[in-house]
Amino acid sequence: MLEAVDLTKTYNGTAALDALSLTIAPGEVFCLLGANGAGKTTTINLFLNFIQPTKGVARISGLDVTEHPLQTKRHLAYIPEQVMLYPNLTGVENLDYFAALAGRELTQDESRSFLVEAGLPAEAAGRRVKTYSKGMRQKVGIAVAMAKQADVLLLDEPTSGLDPKASNEFSELIKLMSDRGTAILMATHDLFRAKESGTRVGIMKHGRLVETLNTDDIGHADLEKLYLEHMRD
Amino acid sequence: MLLRIARHDLRCLAADRAAWILVAMLAGSVAYGVYNGSTWVRFQEATLAAVAEDEASRLVQLRRDAEAIAPDAAAPVSWLDPRSPGVVAGSRGQRFAAAPPGPLAAMTVGQADLYPFYFKMTNRTKQTFIAGDEIENPSNLMAGRFDLGFVVVYLFPLLILGLSYNMLSAEREQGTLAMTLAQPVRLRAVLLGKALARAGLVLTLAIGLAVVGSLVAGVDLRAPGVPARLGLWIATVAAYGAFWFALALAVNALGLASATNAVVLVSCWMALVVIAPALISVAVTSLHPVPSRVELIGAIREASSKASQEGSGLLAQYYEDHPELMPASSAPIAADFLVKLQAVQKTVDETIEPVMARYDDQLARQQELVDRLRFLTPAVATQEALNDVSGTSLGRHKHFMAQVDDFHQVWQNFFIPRVMRRERFSLDDYDAIPEFEFREQPLSAVARRAAGGLLGLIAPSAVLTLAGLALLRRYPVAGR
Repeated sequence: MLEAVDLTKTYNGTAALDALSLTIAPGEVFCLLGANGAGKTTTINLFLNFIQPTKGVARISGLDVTEHPLQTKRHLAYIPEQVMLYPNLTGVENLDYFAALAGRELTQDESRSFLVEAGLPAEAAGRRVKTYSKGMRQKVGIAVAMAKQADVLLLDEPTSGLDPKASNEFSELIKLMSDRGTAILMATHDLFRAKESGTRVGIMKHGRLVETLNTDDIGHADLEKLYLEHMRD
Repeated sequence: MLLRIARHDLRCLAADRAAWILVAMLAGSVAYGVYNGSTWVRFQEATLAAVAEDEASRLVQLRRDAEAIAPDAAAPVSWLDPRSPGVVAGSRGQRFAAAPPGPLAAMTVGQADLYPFYFKMTNRTKQTFIAGDEIENPSNLMAGRFDLGFVVVYLFPLLILGLSYNMLSAEREQGTLAMTLAQPVRLRAVLLGKALARAGLVLTLAIGLAVVGSLVAGVDLRAPGVPARLGLWIATVAAYGAFWFALALAVNALGLASATNAVVLVSCWMALVVIAPALISVAVTSLHPVPSRVELIGAIREASSKASQEGSGLLAQYYEDHPELMPASSAPIAADFLVKLQAVQKTVDETIEPVMARYDDQLARQQELVDRLRFLTPAVATQEALNDVSGTSLGRHKHFMAQVDDFHQVWQNFFIPRVMRRERFSLDDYDAIPEFEFREQPLSAVARRAAGGLLGLIAPSAVLTLAGLALLRRYPVAGR
């Protein structure tokens, strides 16, 4: 479960994130929409404890991330826009390392089956990662999330730059994770993807969450209209 | 966790060609350094063997000549007559005072190639034998040898920096740091784990190769004190390496770009390894300049010519001062040139003594200053410590010179009374000619000085590591 209470981050007096309050339950997929600089990545970095909040609290599974930086990451997985891995190591070796850091030593077979489950072609698992496409690297990221049995998934514009097929595959994986009870926070520009995979969407502007709605309650065209209305001025 | 990170880092390094090139360069330069060091040791050993051979054959010949002379033969007249003590003491019976190469000389030659390591003992003044120099290409002497000590002090830090300047910055730049820190692991564990992996790799390689190489080159582990010296050598190199890793760690913790790290670290290398030692050397020579050698030579010439002019007067004076050495009127050897010379030498010695003492005093003051200033840079502290434990330091040379002085005294005490009493040198006397036996510098003195150097390396390393780890609290994982 993800929880932000009055979460605020200011840089030199300018609020990058302004009093965000948000709860994402297990199995929920919350999509954050908004222009560049609206505070989406700041929110994710705050949950990762990569930056310190100016005010407010970010909690994962009920624990304050600044007070329990290690415990909160035990069951958290993070997939940035570009999943960057060790280019000279294979997919299996990369997965092994990140899973081991999370406290899980995998056997070769386990690693391979996680990678395949995440959609990586079996023959690619033993290849060096520098030969991977962006989509393939993301699948390694998903495999890490699966291996550490993440309760919480933080995704930062994961589908930007993916071709429609890869993007669709990615949505399937999101759905798979959410069906397993993972709470997912996804920052994205992709309204279509947000409507398809999200259970809720939130629109951010100048660091504020200005609108929250259930995806079931709104059609794709209306979502776009609403988004553009907010972006005006 | 640290070990897991270290293992992973080694795996990444193993998959990186640049790391292999650095490791190969390290291995190559260590091997070349050991080769050069052992070449120098072999040269010294060959020289000493030749010297011993010369001494032995000369003494055998001398004795044979003495035995060939009938006991009742006439008083000696020849300048080569073996029965004249002056001839034995100053030419035909001269023995050598020699220092063998230091126990680990193959591992650090240092400036030992500038120190004379054997002297032909004589009954004349110290000046006459002390200036017996080795003939060697002066440009080689000036540049110093490409020995293991040079590899350790100069090249080793560069290789370490090449392997560690971007330990953390590269992870941030290639984006893997964010993925790593999304796992339950602390940034300091990541940095420490990586530093430990690289330090472990480099130090194991460098020290392993050096030790194996030197054992192959003939360092004798069974010789007394050698295991302890080798242990100190290893500890010094490890501490020096640790210093450079600590520096790289601290610079990485600043959160700068890899290229900036490289510039900062190379500047540190320049300052600590190239500039600071040069400045220390300038400070030492300008604060305690050694008196001009020309002045010394001038003083010797003046004293000698003055004494020679007074020749016979000095001899009479000598007997007045040493009535116990007054020869019997029937002394078998004439009051010849050699006897006169001996009396002259004493006067010359007394005149020169203060000039020589000024030399030694200034050298001692210089060394004292180096002792204190070496802590300013790890490069000098390390070089000094390596010289000490290898037995190639100025300290060991002085230890040798003190023994040479003592031996000179013993030599004089043995021969001068015989010369002055104008006795005949008997067959029994040949067996009694004093011999020089080198005593190695005591391990306790070596260890004390090396331990000081070690402390001078460990303390800054610890400070840098702690400062680096403290800086990590403000490390910019995610930029803005």
